[in-house]
Amino acid sequence: MKDLIRIKSLLSTEVEELLNQQVKKEAMSSSIYLAMASWCNRNGFDYSSEYFFKQAEEERQHQLKFYKYILDMGGNAISPDVTGIKQEYNSFREVFEDALDQEISVTQSIKKIYARCLSEQDYITNEFLNWFLKEQREEEYKARRALELFEVIGEEGTGHWEIDRHVGKIKYESDAS
Amino acid sequence: MVTTLTSPSTPTWENVFSTASGAVYQCDAENCWYIDFAGKVAGFNYRCLQKLKKAIYHIDIEAKLLDTSKDPDVEIIFICACDHTYILTLLQVIALKELLQGTFVMLELNSILHDKLYRTAC
Repeated sequence: MKDLIRIKSLLSTEVEELLNQQVKKEAMSSSIYLAMASWCNRNGFDYSSEYFFKQAEEERQHQLKFYKYILDMGGNAISPDVTGIKQEYNSFREVFEDALDQEISVTQSIKKIYARCLSEQDYITNEFLNWFLKEQREEEYKARRALELFEVIGEEGTGHWEIDRHVGKIKYESDAS
Repeated sequence: MVTTLTSPSTPTWENVFSTASGAVYQCDAENCWYIDFAGKVAGFNYRCLQKLKKAIYHIDIEAKLLDTSKDPDVEIIFICACDHTYILTLLQVIALKELLQGTFVMLELNSILHDKLYRTAC
Protein backbone atom coordinates (compact mmCIF):
# COMPACT_ATOMS: atom_id res chain seq x y z
CA MET A 1 0.00 0.00 0.00
CA LYS A 2 1.43 3.37 -1.05
CA ASP A 3 2.22 5.97 1.60
CA LEU A 4 -0.21 8.47 0.05
CA ILE A 5 -0.13 11.03 2.84
CA ARG A 6 3.66 11.32 2.73
CA ILE A 7 3.55 11.56 -1.05
CA LYS A 8 1.20 14.54 -0.79
CA SER A 9 2.83 16.43 2.06
CA LEU A 10 6.10 16.62 3.94
CA LEU A 11 4.37 17.97 7.03
CA SER A 12 2.56 15.90 9.60
CA THR A 13 -0.96 17.05 10.48
CA GLU A 14 0.24 18.24 13.89
CA VAL A 15 3.15 20.28 12.55
CA GLU A 16 0.94 21.74 9.83
CA GLU A 17 -1.58 22.82 12.45
CA LEU A 18 1.14 24.38 14.61
CA LEU A 19 2.55 26.24 11.60
CA ASN A 20 -0.92 27.54 10.76
CA GLN A 21 -1.31 28.70 14.34
CA GLN A 22 2.00 30.51 13.92
CA VAL A 23 0.72 32.18 10.75
CA LYS A 24 -2.15 33.51 12.84
CA LYS A 25 0.17 34.60 15.62
CA GLU A 26 2.38 36.54 13.22
CA ALA A 27 -0.71 38.16 11.67
CA MET A 28 -1.91 39.13 15.16
CA SER A 29 1.54 40.55 15.95
CA SER A 30 1.48 42.61 12.79
CA SER A 31 -1.96 44.01 13.66
CA ILE A 32 -0.97 44.69 17.26
CA TYR A 33 2.08 46.66 16.06
CA LEU A 34 -0.13 48.62 13.68
CA ALA A 35 -2.43 49.54 16.57
CA MET A 36 0.62 50.59 18.58
CA ALA A 37 1.87 52.70 15.66
CA SER A 38 -1.51 54.40 15.53
CA TRP A 39 -1.58 55.06 19.30
CA CYS A 40 1.96 56.47 19.27
CA ASN A 41 1.20 58.67 16.31
CA ARG A 42 -1.99 60.01 17.90
CA ASN A 43 -0.11 60.83 21.08
CA GLY A 44 2.78 62.64 19.41
CA PHE A 45 5.40 59.90 19.55
CA ASP A 46 6.32 59.95 15.89
CA TYR A 47 9.60 58.05 16.07
CA SER A 48 7.98 55.24 18.04
CA SER A 49 5.11 55.21 15.58
CA GLU A 50 7.56 54.76 12.73
CA TYR A 51 9.34 52.00 14.69
CA PHE A 52 6.05 50.12 15.14
CA PHE A 53 5.12 50.54 11.47
CA LYS A 54 8.40 48.84 10.59
CA GLN A 55 7.76 46.10 13.15
CA ALA A 56 4.28 45.53 11.71
CA GLU A 57 5.76 45.11 8.25
CA GLU A 58 8.38 42.66 9.53
CA GLU A 59 5.74 40.54 11.25
CA ARG A 60 3.75 40.49 8.04
CA GLN A 61 6.83 39.19 6.21
CA HIS A 62 7.24 36.49 8.88
CA GLN A 63 3.62 35.49 8.40
CA LEU A 64 4.12 35.13 4.66
CA LYS A 65 7.29 33.11 5.18
CA PHE A 66 5.38 30.56 7.28
CA TYR A 67 2.46 30.65 4.86
CA LYS A 68 4.58 29.93 1.81
CA TYR A 69 6.56 27.23 3.59
CA ILE A 70 3.34 25.34 4.43
CA LEU A 71 2.25 25.57 0.79
CA ASP A 72 5.67 24.63 -0.60
CA MET A 73 5.71 21.50 1.55
CA GLY A 74 2.30 20.38 0.31
CA GLY A 75 0.26 21.56 3.26
CA ASN A 76 -2.87 23.67 3.50
CA ALA A 77 -2.07 27.25 4.51
CA ILE A 78 -5.02 28.93 6.18
CA SER A 79 -5.55 32.67 5.97
CA PRO A 80 -6.24 33.65 9.58
CA ASP A 81 -9.01 35.67 11.22
CA VAL A 82 -7.50 38.51 13.17
CA THR A 83 -9.85 40.09 15.68
CA GLY A 84 -9.86 41.66 19.13
CA ILE A 85 -6.78 43.83 18.69
CA LYS A 86 -6.18 46.19 21.61
CA GLN A 87 -6.41 49.75 20.31
CA GLU A 88 -5.93 51.86 23.42
CA TYR A 89 -3.08 51.99 25.91
CA ASN A 90 -2.95 53.61 29.31
CA SER A 91 0.58 54.91 28.94
CA PHE A 92 3.57 55.18 26.61
CA ARG A 93 5.38 52.62 28.71
CA GLU A 94 2.51 50.12 28.51
CA VAL A 95 2.88 50.04 24.72
CA PHE A 96 6.45 48.79 25.03
CA GLU A 97 5.62 46.38 27.84
CA ASP A 98 2.98 44.82 25.59
CA ALA A 99 5.43 44.74 22.68
CA LEU A 100 7.94 42.74 24.72
CA ASP A 101 5.19 40.39 25.95
CA GLN A 102 4.20 39.82 22.36
CA GLU A 103 7.74 38.95 21.30
CA ILE A 104 8.21 36.59 24.24
CA SER A 105 5.01 34.81 23.32
CA VAL A 106 6.17 34.47 19.68
CA THR A 107 9.51 33.01 20.87
CA GLN A 108 7.66 30.53 23.06
CA SER A 109 5.41 29.38 20.26
CA ILE A 110 8.34 28.92 17.84
CA LYS A 111 10.11 26.87 20.52
CA LYS A 112 6.98 24.73 20.81
CA ILE A 113 6.96 24.01 17.07
CA TYR A 114 10.69 23.31 17.15
CA ALA A 115 10.24 20.78 19.96
CA ARG A 116 7.41 19.06 18.11
CA CYS A 117 9.51 18.82 14.93
CA LEU A 118 12.42 17.37 16.87
CA SER A 119 10.18 14.71 18.39
CA GLU A 120 8.97 13.80 14.88
CA GLN A 121 12.48 14.04 13.40
CA ASP A 122 11.18 16.67 10.99
CA TYR A 123 14.62 18.22 10.57
CA ILE A 124 13.58 20.07 7.44
CA THR A 125 11.07 22.20 9.34
CA ASN A 126 13.62 22.58 12.14
CA GLU A 127 16.08 23.99 9.65
CA PHE A 128 13.38 26.35 8.36
CA LEU A 129 12.67 27.49 11.93
CA ASN A 130 16.34 28.28 12.62
CA TRP A 131 15.96 31.57 10.78
CA PHE A 132 13.06 32.53 13.07
CA LEU A 133 14.95 31.58 16.22
CA LYS A 134 17.74 33.92 15.22
CA GLU A 135 15.23 36.60 14.30
CA GLN A 136 13.66 36.34 17.75
CA ARG A 137 17.00 37.21 19.34
CA GLU A 138 16.86 40.54 17.53
CA GLU A 139 13.16 41.09 18.16
CA GLU A 140 13.41 40.44 21.89
CA TYR A 141 16.57 42.53 22.14
CA LYS A 142 14.88 45.51 20.50
CA ALA A 143 11.73 45.24 22.61
CA ARG A 144 13.78 44.86 25.80
CA ARG A 145 16.06 47.75 24.88
CA ALA A 146 13.07 50.02 24.25
CA LEU A 147 11.73 49.24 27.71
CA GLU A 148 15.18 49.78 29.17
CA LEU A 149 15.13 53.34 27.86
CA PHE A 150 12.33 54.12 30.31
CA GLU A 151 14.72 53.18 33.14
CA VAL A 152 17.86 54.90 31.90
CA ILE A 153 16.25 58.10 30.63
CA GLY A 154 13.38 58.32 33.10
CA GLU A 155 9.85 59.47 32.42
CA GLU A 156 10.01 62.83 34.16
CA GLY A 157 10.19 66.16 32.37
CA THR A 158 11.08 65.70 28.73
CA GLY A 159 11.77 62.00 29.32
CA HIS A 160 9.05 60.74 26.98
CA TRP A 161 10.29 62.99 24.20
CA GLU A 162 13.85 61.74 24.72
CA ILE A 163 12.72 58.09 24.85
CA ASP A 164 10.72 58.52 21.65
CA ARG A 165 13.76 59.91 19.82
CA HIS A 166 15.94 57.01 20.95
CA VAL A 167 13.39 54.31 20.11
CA GLY A 168 13.82 55.24 16.46
CA LYS A 169 17.55 54.52 16.71
CA ILE A 170 17.39 51.06 18.29
CA LYS A 171 19.41 48.54 16.29
CA TYR A 172 20.71 45.08 17.03
CA GLU A 173 24.34 45.15 15.98
CA SER A 174 25.93 42.92 18.57
CA ASP A 175 28.97 40.76 17.82
CA ALA A 176 26.72 37.83 18.68
CA SER A 177 24.32 38.64 15.87
CA MET B 1 -22.89 -1.61 9.01
CA VAL B 2 -20.84 -2.26 5.89
CA THR B 3 -23.50 -2.25 3.26
CA THR B 4 -22.25 -2.03 -0.24
CA LEU B 5 -19.02 -3.90 -0.56
CA THR B 6 -18.17 -7.55 -0.54
CA SER B 7 -14.70 -8.39 0.54
CA PRO B 8 -12.32 -8.06 -1.23
CA SER B 9 -14.08 -5.24 -3.02
CA THR B 10 -11.82 -4.46 -5.93
CA PRO B 11 -8.37 -5.96 -6.44
CA THR B 12 -6.67 -2.57 -6.28
CA TRP B 13 -8.44 -1.49 -3.11
CA GLU B 14 -6.74 -2.25 0.16
CA ASN B 15 -8.58 -2.23 3.41
CA VAL B 16 -7.07 0.40 5.69
CA PHE B 17 -9.38 0.07 8.66
CA SER B 18 -12.81 -1.37 9.39
CA THR B 19 -15.28 -1.27 12.20
CA ALA B 20 -18.72 -2.79 12.58
CA SER B 21 -20.22 0.32 11.04
CA GLY B 22 -17.94 0.99 8.08
CA ALA B 23 -14.63 0.62 6.33
CA VAL B 24 -11.98 2.68 4.60
CA TYR B 25 -10.10 1.43 1.55
CA GLN B 26 -7.08 2.88 -0.20
CA CYS B 27 -6.85 2.83 -3.97
CA ASP B 28 -3.21 3.16 -5.04
CA ALA B 29 -4.13 3.39 -8.72
CA GLU B 30 -6.28 6.48 -8.16
CA ASN B 31 -4.32 7.88 -5.20
CA CYS B 32 -7.44 8.19 -3.11
CA TRP B 33 -9.48 6.56 -0.36
CA TYR B 34 -12.98 5.10 -0.45
CA ILE B 35 -15.11 5.35 2.64
CA ASP B 36 -17.88 2.82 2.98
CA PHE B 37 -20.16 4.36 5.56
CA ALA B 38 -23.83 5.21 6.13
CA GLY B 39 -25.01 3.22 3.15
CA LYS B 40 -22.71 4.63 0.49
CA VAL B 41 -19.18 4.35 -0.80
CA ALA B 42 -17.58 7.72 -1.34
CA GLY B 43 -14.17 8.53 -2.82
CA PHE B 44 -11.95 11.12 -1.14
CA ASN B 45 -8.66 12.55 -2.31
CA TYR B 46 -6.02 13.67 0.16
CA ARG B 47 -7.39 17.21 0.59
CA CYS B 48 -10.99 16.09 1.03
CA LEU B 49 -10.06 13.36 3.48
CA GLN B 50 -8.21 15.93 5.59
CA LYS B 51 -11.25 18.23 5.44
CA LEU B 52 -13.57 15.40 6.44
CA LYS B 53 -11.30 14.54 9.36
CA LYS B 54 -11.29 18.15 10.49
CA ALA B 55 -15.05 18.47 10.17
CA ILE B 56 -15.72 15.30 12.16
CA TYR B 57 -13.07 15.90 14.82
CA HIS B 58 -14.41 19.39 15.46
CA ILE B 59 -17.90 18.21 16.38
CA ASP B 60 -18.28 18.56 20.14
CA ILE B 61 -19.92 15.20 20.83
CA GLU B 62 -20.10 15.73 24.59
CA ALA B 63 -21.92 19.04 24.18
CA LYS B 64 -24.35 17.41 21.75
CA LEU B 65 -25.04 14.57 24.18
CA LEU B 66 -25.79 17.03 26.97
CA ASP B 67 -27.92 19.22 24.75
CA THR B 68 -31.51 18.96 25.97
CA SER B 69 -33.07 21.20 23.36
CA LYS B 70 -35.60 19.82 20.90
CA ASP B 71 -33.36 20.35 17.86
CA PRO B 72 -33.07 17.31 15.62
CA ASP B 73 -30.15 15.10 16.54
CA VAL B 74 -28.63 15.39 13.08
CA GLU B 75 -25.32 16.70 11.78
CA ILE B 76 -24.84 17.77 8.19
CA ILE B 77 -21.26 17.23 7.14
CA PHE B 78 -20.68 19.36 4.09
CA ILE B 79 -17.18 19.55 2.73
CA CYS B 80 -16.28 22.37 0.40
CA ALA B 81 -15.09 21.26 -3.08
CA CYS B 82 -15.99 17.66 -2.34
CA ASP B 83 -18.72 15.67 -4.05
CA HIS B 84 -20.08 14.06 -0.92
CA THR B 85 -22.22 15.22 1.95
CA TYR B 86 -23.12 13.22 5.02
CA ILE B 87 -26.26 13.63 7.06
CA LEU B 88 -25.56 11.76 10.25
CA THR B 89 -27.16 11.11 13.59
CA LEU B 90 -24.99 11.59 16.64
CA LEU B 91 -24.37 7.85 16.94
CA GLN B 92 -23.21 7.79 13.33
CA VAL B 93 -20.90 10.75 14.01
CA ILE B 94 -19.33 8.78 16.86
CA ALA B 95 -18.98 5.74 14.59
CA LEU B 96 -17.44 7.78 11.76
CA LYS B 97 -15.03 9.43 14.16
CA GLU B 98 -13.95 6.02 15.41
CA LEU B 99 -13.50 4.85 11.82
CA LEU B 100 -11.42 7.90 10.87
CA GLN B 101 -9.30 7.72 14.00
CA GLY B 102 -8.46 4.11 13.25
CA THR B 103 -7.79 4.98 9.62
CA PHE B 104 -5.33 7.74 10.43
CA VAL B 105 -3.52 5.55 12.93
CA MET B 106 -3.17 2.88 10.24
CA LEU B 107 -2.01 5.42 7.66
CA GLU B 108 0.58 6.69 10.11
CA LEU B 109 1.69 3.14 10.79
CA ASN B 110 1.97 2.58 7.04
CA SER B 111 4.12 5.69 6.83
CA ILE B 112 6.39 4.44 9.63
CA LEU B 113 6.70 1.05 7.92
CA HIS B 114 7.61 2.72 4.64
CA ASP B 115 10.27 4.77 6.42
CA LYS B 116 11.76 1.79 8.22
CA LEU B 117 11.48 -0.85 5.53
CA TYR B 118 12.08 0.97 2.29
CA ARG B 119 13.34 4.51 2.68
CA THR B 120 16.12 3.83 5.16
CA ALA B 121 16.80 0.23 4.22
CA CYS B 122 19.41 1.05 1.57
